[in-house]
Amino acid sequence: MSFFNYRNNLIHAAVAAALATINIFIVLTLDPPNLAQGVFGNIFYIHVPVAWSAFLLYFAVMVCGIFFLTKKSIEWDHRGLACAEVGTLFMFLVLTTGPIWAKPAWGFFWPWEPRLTTSLVLFLIFLGYFMLRQFGGNPEQVSRYAAVVGILAFLDVPLIFLSVKFWLPEMQSHPQVGQYFDSANPLPTYLVIFSFISLLVLSSLMVRFRTNILSMKDAS
Amino acid sequence: MLIHLILKDLKIEWRSKEIITSMFIFGLSITLIFALAFQVAPGLIHAFASGLLWVVILFTSVLGLNRLFSLEREEHAMWSWTSAPVDRGTVYIAKVFSALIFVLMSELLFIVPFFIFLNLPANFSFFQLALILFLGTGAIVSVGCLISGITLQAGLRDVLIPILLFPSASPVAIAATKCTGFLFDKKPLADWNFWLLILCSFFVVFGLFGYLVFNRIVEE
Repeated sequence: MSFFNYRNNLIHAAVAAALATINIFIVLTLDPPNLAQGVFGNIFYIHVPVAWSAFLLYFAVMVCGIFFLTKKSIEWDHRGLACAEVGTLFMFLVLTTGPIWAKPAWGFFWPWEPRLTTSLVLFLIFLGYFMLRQFGGNPEQVSRYAAVVGILAFLDVPLIFLSVKFWLPEMQSHPQVGQYFDSANPLPTYLVIFSFISLLVLSSLMVRFRTNILSMKDAS
Repeated sequence: MLIHLILKDLKIEWRSKEIITSMFIFGLSITLIFALAFQVAPGLIHAFASGLLWVVILFTSVLGLNRLFSLEREEHAMWSWTSAPVDRGTVYIAKVFSALIFVLMSELLFIVPFFIFLNLPANFSFFQLALILFLGTGAIVSVGCLISGITLQAGLRDVLIPILLFPSASPVAIAATKCTGFLFDKKPLADWNFWLLILCSFFVVFGLFGYLVFNRIVEE
């Protein structure tokens, strides 16, 4: 039976689609808080929640990796791989929307800002992760190796973040984010949280769908 | 037992001399290319020297890490190696120490030509340089041995090691370059001990992580 033949999955998909549509409508029609940045200012409502989701998904890869190495159940490997795939897609979006926003905000496309740099490094490690999945040897061993790389990648995060933060000290301020989180006007904060929730619903659907396919492939 | 495992690698290397020799010659060749490529602006060399040194070390380490684990693979000695009467974490620690010794030896050999070819003044504390080289190399090989172990059975091993190692070791590249740069500028240790701490934490975190998961990596 196909994934969408189940009622729960269909409801999950419908909610994800509705939330995503509302989210896109808000982002496209709302006046940006900083008019100098023009319409690009609104990319914040996508860029930041996508980045949060991507980091959360990579964190999930680590958790799945730990469970796989301790419990040795193949289900955890499928979940880990699904999270890694969706996380890398989201990370790609972070790395695309980041420069689009950086151009009007900073004046150039690539600021070596700690969060953006950490995203790039993680993205590159995960490209290696997929290479390893593809060419790493026999499938049973590759699952274990991939779990180790997933954990390794997330262990690296604090060290990368700290090094980049103090590498270019003048880059550590991120004033553009501050403009949005203002206690006098809480609307942008709510919108970011709404966008994050809509992305969480969407990404969880993607992960479940992908896990389902991987399990069926494995069973056949 | 740890000492026996390290002595085994040292004895093999003493007889064949293949790893240190190849790393030394490779390091020398890259130094030559750098010296030629930067001839147009010799004034720039001093500013870039610390970065160049660590690029050479990272590249030569990849060569060494690749060879170090190939010994067991080529001679099918994998199982006699991992069946040493100690836990496999110790086997990993032994490999880290052998790799550290080999890479440090090759660094000792090519660092003199590096300074001569690039016309760099050598008026700084050699003890501090040795400390930076030890910690930086230790950090690289701690994550490098883990990656080398992961890719042991992979078809694309030569490609996978740098693909996974370079992004994972990016904090080492930043911290080690910063330390060396401060040292070349004769800044007091108090100005850059933060970066030594980053190198130290990287070494310890990935050393411990490798010790914990190596059992899972080499299991049949």
